[in-house]
Amino acid sequence: MNKRSTIKIARIIDEAEDIKSFVFAHDLTAKPGQFIMLTDFEGGEKPFSIADCTSNEFMITVKRIGEFTTRLFQKQVGDYVSVRGPFGSSFFVSDGNVLLVGGGYGTPPLYFLAKELLQNGAKVTVVNGAKSKEDLVFCNKFRELGVEYQNITQLGCLGREGTSVDLAEKAMEKQKFDHVYAAGPEMMMKALQPLLKDLEYEFLFERYMKCAIGICGNCTIDPIGIRLCVEGPVLPKKLVEQLTEFGKYHRDATGKRIEF
Amino acid sequence: MHKRLKTKFLGVELESPLVLPAGVMGMSFSGMDIARINGAGIITSKSLTLQPRTGHKGPVIAEFEGGILNCMGLCNPGISNGLLEVNEFKKRSRTPVIVSVFATNTEDFLMLAKEVNNSRGDFLELNLSCPNVFDEFGIPLAASKDEVFKIVKAVKESSRLPVIAKLSPNVYNIVEIALAAQKAGADALCLINTVGPGMAIDAKMVKPVLFNKFGGLSGPCIKPIALKLIYQTHSAVDIPILGMGGVTYGIDAVEMLMAGATTIGVGTAVYYRGIEVFEKINNEIIEFLDENGYETVEDILKLEKLKL
Ligand SMILES: Cc1cc2nc3c(=O)[nH]c(=O)nc-3n(C[C@H](O)[C@H](O)[C@H](O)COP(=O)(O)OP(=O)(O)OC[C@H]3O[C@@H](n4cnc5c(N)ncnc54)[C@H](O)[C@@H]3O)c2cc1C
Ligand SMILES: Cc1cc2nc3c(=O)[nH]c(=O)nc-3n(C[C@H](O)[C@H](O)[C@H](O)COP(=O)(O)O)c2cc1C
Ligand code: FES
Repeated sequence: MNKRSTIKIARIIDEAEDIKSFVFAHDLTAKPGQFIMLTDFEGGEKPFSIADCTSNEFMITVKRIGEFTTRLFQKQVGDYVSVRGPFGSSFFVSDGNVLLVGGGYGTPPLYFLAKELLQNGAKVTVVNGAKSKEDLVFCNKFRELGVEYQNITQLGCLGREGTSVDLAEKAMEKQKFDHVYAAGPEMMMKALQPLLKDLEYEFLFERYMKCAIGICGNCTIDPIGIRLCVEGPVLPKKLVEQLTEFGKYHRDATGKRIEF
Repeated sequence: MHKRLKTKFLGVELESPLVLPAGVMGMSFSGMDIARINGAGIITSKSLTLQPRTGHKGPVIAEFEGGILNCMGLCNPGISNGLLEVNEFKKRSRTPVIVSVFATNTEDFLMLAKEVNNSRGDFLELNLSCPNVFDEFGIPLAASKDEVFKIVKAVKESSRLPVIAKLSPNVYNIVEIALAAQKAGADALCLINTVGPGMAIDAKMVKPVLFNKFGGLSGPCIKPIALKLIYQTHSAVDIPILGMGGVTYGIDAVEMLMAGATTIGVGTAVYYRGIEVFEKINNEIIEFLDENGYETVEDILKLEKLKL
């Protein structure tokens, strides 16, 4: 049984213009890549990736985009929210030479992963991209971890213009990686995939989720019927390669197909 | 698949008596297909409405010891998109599909039935019993024998496919309603839909857990109610019953066959035991056959049913 926990917000961190992290003093026992469903009981229960997790705290990082996240941004330290989870699959924690590719607000779960990878003795390189400087998150957090870190924006605000896929390509020219991990916009991962023909990789997918317990079917991905709330959100190469809907369409709250 | 599990539903051969019920995984062709691959003998689509529906705001699921409450609110991509998924599924497989539809009046049900006539679906199921849209639509149609009679009769006259009426457990006299459906020409009955609805409260927040406040109960806690209603109905009607409600293990399915069902839905158990639940229950049924001297599932169906 997946227990629901109603817990207080312990800390709120401003990360970027429209991005905040929320920290909870709660033992979630999650693995990197997993997510929670969060609600304030005022309409909406939404999935958020776990950006960090220790034995007594966990954190999510949220981009304000609509009704629910706007309401979440008005919450104060000490306010209650309710959380189900953790749900879903997690990243394989390797001990080799690994590359993490993040995009926009998709990057935070890679921070939790990077910490676990380092603990496991892996050599970690992180490339992080976003539209503009204002959307780029966790630069300092990654630097503090002591991983090899580079970032880039599409608008070129940091001197470099391009995407994290460009940075990934350069990094892969310089060194041989054992495993690549990506989280971010689906089209970023779609662009990255052709570069990874000879490499093991895992991608974190986001699809519209309702039940998060594998019964409503809203988050299944064609044609293999993988439920992203159970068998995902992290999928390994051998599954990603079978997906015909990857980068083509997803499903909205009604279950209708929406082209990217 | 196992020969010993083969059975028939309304003349159609089934590889297994297990059914994926409406609203569970049946949103997309691949969701239907994964249930088939894992051993379901019939697949039911999500209940489809004329227009797409986003359903209720979350939380839409509240879990408790005996089962779950849900108030999905009939989210579905609408009849035309939904039938595209059904047709795509049928291109890949011969497993029969029940197309479930939901409406609140005869005209809309007739429009839905017309669309389903032109699809590759095998059966038409009328969801007369969703308990989660009370605020919008009021008391489920399945609460009234006259409404059930009127709608089933009208649909039956225009449907190319056999018609299954899905009834509500939340009524005083199931037999009277089942008989009305049979008299109107229903080819089969499906029972039960979710029970209640019920409620869950978050004591720290002092709020209902479900945003819709109330939700239908499913899972192990409703099995005794399902058995009782299937048993009572079976004793009164001549048409087959697609039984469901809390079936989680092989023994639950066997009990439900003994109560009078001919096929068995497995919904919420997909959560408890994974999508592999169909294969697991199939195997457990075979174990039961072995241990109790039955050759096939048909032997259980042929048993003289329980007597009062
Ligand atoms: C596995 C997973 C992990 C996620 N992790 C994060 C995260 O770490 N940080 C973050 O900021 N966001 C994350 N999201 C996205 C987040 O759930 C949406 O941003 C949020 O639900 C938007 O709600 P809203 O009401 O503010 O916006 P709305 O205006 O309701 O929706 C805007 C967009 O958000 C997405 N969305 C809305 N509801 C859902 C839902 N129930 N399930 C999935 N997507 C939805 C849709 O793409 C929609 O078009 C994640 C999504 C998934 C599936
Ligand atoms: C999440 C969920 C969604 C459902 N959606 C529908 C639906 O759209 N139409 C319908 O007729 N029944 C729906 N049901 C009811 C099931 O088909 C089934 O009758 C009920 O859950 C009892 O079976 P179970 O205990 O095996 O789940 C839904 C049930 C659940 C749990
Ligand atoms: S969100 Fe319901 S099956 Fe994944």
